[in-house]
Amino acid sequence: MYIPRPLLILLVIIYLLLLLSADWINQAGGAWYRPFFVGFLIIAAGGWAHRERDSDEL
Amino acid sequence: MDYELTTIIGLGSIYLMLLFGIAFITERGWIPDKIVHHPVVYVLSLGVFASVWAYYTSVGNAQRDGYGYLANSIGISLAFLFSPLLLKPILALTRTYQLSSLADLMAFRYRSPWAGTATTLVMLVGVTPLIALQIRAISDTAEILSPNASQGTLAFGFCVLITLFTILFGTSRGAVRGRHDGLMMAIAFESLVKLLAFLAVGVFAIYSGFGGLDKLNLWLQEQPELLFELKEVALFSSFHVFTLLFFSAAVAMPHMFYVTFNGNHGQRALAFASWGLPLYFLLISLPVLPILWAGLQAGSEVQVEYFPVVIGVAYGAPLITVLAYVGGLSAASGLIIVITLALSNMCLNHLILPIYQPTAKDDIYRWLLWKRRALITAVIWSGFLFHYLLDQRTSIELIGTIAFTACLQFFPGIIAILYWPQANKKGFVSGLIAGLLIWFIFLMLPIFIESSPLSLISINWREVAALSLIVNCFLFVAVSLWSTTTDEERSSADICALDTIKRRKRSGLVAKSPNEFITSLSKPLGKKTATREVTQAMKDLNITMDNRRPYDLRLLRGKLEANLSGLLGPSIAGKIIDGYLPYSIVSRHGSSDLNVIENRIEAYRSNLSGMAADLDNLRRYHRQILLDLPLGVCSLSSDNEIVMWNHALTEFTGIKSADIVGSQIADLKEPWLSLLLNFMDEDANHSYKHNFELNGQIKSVNLHKAEIEKSAGQDYSHEGVIILIEDITETEILEAGLNHSERLASIGRLAAGVAHEIGNPITGIACLAQTIRDEYEVDGLKNLAQQIIEQTNRTSKILQSLVNFAHAGTNKSHYENEIVSVVDCINEAQVLISLDKKSKDLSFQLDADPTAMILGDSQRLIQVLVNLISNARDASRSGGKINLQASVEGDQVRITITDEGVGIPAAIKDRIFDPFFTTKEAGEGTGLGLSLVFSIVEDLHGDIDIISPIGSAKSAGTQVILRFPRYQSEPELEIDDQDQETSSQQTV
Repeated sequence: MYIPRPLLILLVIIYLLLLLSADWINQAGGAWYRPFFVGFLIIAAGGWAHRERDSDEL
Repeated sequence: MDYELTTIIGLGSIYLMLLFGIAFITERGWIPDKIVHHPVVYVLSLGVFASVWAYYTSVGNAQRDGYGYLANSIGISLAFLFSPLLLKPILALTRTYQLSSLADLMAFRYRSPWAGTATTLVMLVGVTPLIALQIRAISDTAEILSPNASQGTLAFGFCVLITLFTILFGTSRGAVRGRHDGLMMAIAFESLVKLLAFLAVGVFAIYSGFGGLDKLNLWLQEQPELLFELKEVALFSSFHVFTLLFFSAAVAMPHMFYVTFNGNHGQRALAFASWGLPLYFLLISLPVLPILWAGLQAGSEVQVEYFPVVIGVAYGAPLITVLAYVGGLSAASGLIIVITLALSNMCLNHLILPIYQPTAKDDIYRWLLWKRRALITAVIWSGFLFHYLLDQRTSIELIGTIAFTACLQFFPGIIAILYWPQANKKGFVSGLIAGLLIWFIFLMLPIFIESSPLSLISINWREVAALSLIVNCFLFVAVSLWSTTTDEERSSADICALDTIKRRKRSGLVAKSPNEFITSLSKPLGKKTATREVTQAMKDLNITMDNRRPYDLRLLRGKLEANLSGLLGPSIAGKIIDGYLPYSIVSRHGSSDLNVIENRIEAYRSNLSGMAADLDNLRRYHRQILLDLPLGVCSLSSDNEIVMWNHALTEFTGIKSADIVGSQIADLKEPWLSLLLNFMDEDANHSYKHNFELNGQIKSVNLHKAEIEKSAGQDYSHEGVIILIEDITETEILEAGLNHSERLASIGRLAAGVAHEIGNPITGIACLAQTIRDEYEVDGLKNLAQQIIEQTNRTSKILQSLVNFAHAGTNKSHYENEIVSVVDCINEAQVLISLDKKSKDLSFQLDADPTAMILGDSQRLIQVLVNLISNARDASRSGGKINLQASVEGDQVRITITDEGVGIPAAIKDRIFDPFFTTKEAGEGTGLGLSLVFSIVEDLHGDIDIISPIGSAKSAGTQVILRFPRYQSEPELEIDDQDQETSSQQTV
């Protein structure tokens, strides 16, 4: 099975972001919109992973 | 706030008419394709997934589950962020095989109409609660706006409206043909409306409810329990199950399948949606919390889920209420329209058509149209019935959960399509039925029968979802492993499994032309429908009616199957095509359609990596060797279909590879057909010097062949023949030229020998004549002797010229570098030419400057002049005149040979110096004369120009101009230098 490299990198980014931000999101007194900020970062990484590439770039 | 019922119905009608108007103008082509096919439109149309669940239910979920309400967005976002794992391969399958629903996909993969039927039935049962949820939400919110209206009346009115509009949407010509641009545009619009409406309500909640973001934060600090509940997402809570439900819903829910795969315009759009749709869901999730808190602060007693509509009323903003209602209407109507269209197609293809099919006498399109209308009505009203039977106390969250859990039962089957080739239909259907049974007993039944004995068993929906999925998976795996898998299923599994390509057979078809296709398909479809379908498929493939290439006919068959699949579903389409357009030969293992496989690999290239990429590179390298081989290569299959036609053969025959590959050898034109067929019939594998005429020229080829053997188990079978065609025409001409030269050289040697033999007696005659002249005093005798001496001198001179010319043709590694008198050379050449009887009718006019001298080899210059003068002679008419001029022009000697002959046609002027190019009759000339002239002139540091015709008149003769560096003696050079000095001094 072929898994594109950017997809694996995206998976690692999501995992690391969630790991690093879990405490920050749940911090007492933290802003309610913090999860959305993390979500936005993940989507930005997704945009990078799914960017248009040359056909020969694997 | 109290609205009239008519206002609410009017608002709904106007909104739905607006949606239909957008679809209408899109299908009419009034909106540019650039906009319609833009990935943003695709992303927005995927927003149909944000139904009442995302719009209303998420507010209630936020209150109960805190951030757990985001499971909806996270599940669907993960499916799209990781689209290459699931969505992308399924998209490739659905596009290749025109699979328009999950039931089509299941029937295709598990090679069973039963798989499609089971999928449709489960989908119908499972999704009805979701339709009911939309009806319930619309009637509930309408009741909030118009408390005096009966909820039943509101739901009924909404269903009537949505039924009419769905029929309009779903039975347009484009929709029947499987074209969805209008619908996709309308759904994209409704997704935009609900997003903007929800964001507007959220902004209103923050600024009107709290006075700004800062004040909202201050309010939250005063409500610590709200923040605490928000962040308390238990590790094994419903959050994870919801995430899985919504992840699988990306493929398993009929409306998502419909939009994701049918509304798609290519992989680029999917790549865009892979981050675009998560962004859409992030934005639509954002206002949920402010809306919830604003509703709580207002102390609204209405069900939490409907806070988006209520807060407008609570804070005295009727416009926001109407906006929120329109957003909710948008969410519900979009989902109902798409889900109903998807379900009606599935029911038609997998429930009705397998039982009853229209006869050839029926108008199939009209028949399908009415069946589709009836099914749309049935699906929507079954949702209404479910809503009607439902207890009002049942939460809309539970209704939605029931629907999503039912669709979760397809998840094992979907994953197995791509990742488990061993799966079979028995396993799939067993697992599906078992999972659905658990779902029905523990989730569906209790909401209708409170006193059911099973309701005593304390089990929550999360556990039901997990249990049904586990049982489903277990039975699916176990039955698949223990039961036998058919060859058809294996073949389908190969096609569906990742990294494999379709193994299309390369067998011939019984129908040999598009007309025969129409005749064959007229039996099941009727002549009118068959003609329309075949014509449409031919138009799609750019195939003409007279096309009989097997490769094109196979493509046509595939296209017809795909088109009929869009119309009747893959099972019926496959049945019709297999039954009425069968293959003529049952294909053996290994006789795959290489051209199709190559095209697929070519398209898949960007996805290959590692060893697969290396193998592909190796394949390309070997193929390129064959393609670029300077010999013609033609590969034939066992049934005489042309599989390869390389570049050299294209150049030689003038037949393009694209035009001939895939054709039968019998489709070749002459002379190639006879040449190859005769050679194939021969026993010998090599055949030399086949001569044939091509475009008025004689061509000569050597032919070689070899049978391609392929191992098939223990037997060896002939996969085809490879034929090499070697063009030896130029070699033949070269050989002829060499033979001719050899003959000329022999004649030269003979002439030299003869000249030598004649020279001696001539010398003797000259001596005797001199003796007579000197010793006899008789005048008459003296004169006669003198004449004899002159004639013998002339004869000796001729003989000497012959000897010199013959010696010039011999191989020399070193040429003389002597002072050559151009006049002498012209004279000698003229003498040689005069020896030929052809020159007798011509008159030569010589005008030569005796001071014209060059440095070089006189014999070679004579050879140049003889060749040029003989060409001039051959081109001249009888009695013509040839001018020979030699003059000095500065430091150059200019020689011109001018005839009054036929001239040189412009078309061949560029080729006259090419070796072996001749316009003379065969055997008259070798085509080497002018190329030899060119070569010698270059050796003598000169250049050559040819003017033809001379002047403006057509065919007014030819003038050849030779220029050589002039030889100047030293005194001449000194004089020249002095002249130059004088001249320069005068100039100064």
